[in-house]
Amino acid sequence: MNDARPDNTPTSNPVLRQALVWGGIVAAALLLVSGVLGFVFAGAEGLIGALIGTAMAVVFMGITAATILIANRFASSDLFVGAFFGIVLGGWIVKFIVFIVLVVLLRDAAWLDTTVLFLSLVAGVLASLVVDVVVITKSRMPHVSDVELPPAPRED
Amino acid sequence: MDATTVLAEINGNIATVGYGLAAIGPAIGVGIVVGKTIEGVARQPELAGRLQVLMWIGIAFTEALAFIGIATYFIFV
Repeated sequence: MNDARPDNTPTSNPVLRQALVWGGIVAAALLLVSGVLGFVFAGAEGLIGALIGTAMAVVFMGITAATILIANRFASSDLFVGAFFGIVLGGWIVKFIVFIVLVVLLRDAAWLDTTVLFLSLVAGVLASLVVDVVVITKSRMPHVSDVELPPAPRED
Repeated sequence: MDATTVLAEINGNIATVGYGLAAIGPAIGVGIVVGKTIEGVARQPELAGRLQVLMWIGIAFTEALAFIGIATYFIFV
């Protein structure tokens, strides 16, 4: 009897990792564009608002994929399902509490433009969704996680 | 002061009500998405990877509405 446990790592890992990488690349481009637009329309306050808004959107949207990746490290554990949903949903609620606290704190800040911050936040959220959808439609996922395919037939 | 004013009086920032409203939709949405994923994984554990990705995109769309809803506090007085 083979005591070695099969590799149960879910097949979603490469997709999520790719989404995070592309999310980071698009975020860098979006930071540049929104920063320039914010500076042109609202000066230094607009620049700061645009940078913070875009960063908030991309970081908070990326946390879901990051928590799933972290939770998948416990794939071979007997408590995997509980640990998975605990980590993902726990991360989700902590994320929203931090987000609400940030909104309340930044609302009255005089050193940034809240309108620019809101607009860049919406742009960041939409860009993140677009990246997620594009990555998923271009991804190739095997149906099962713990099956090894037989080797390819040889020519000889 | 008449009875209607006493019963219907609201103090404080009305935007606070918006927080509550912005939380209801995503809470229900994520609850359904995650609950159905648990159901799917329980039925077919070997499909966990695919179901996780679908759950992730479902959560992403649901929470996008929540982020925008809560952040409207920035522009609405």
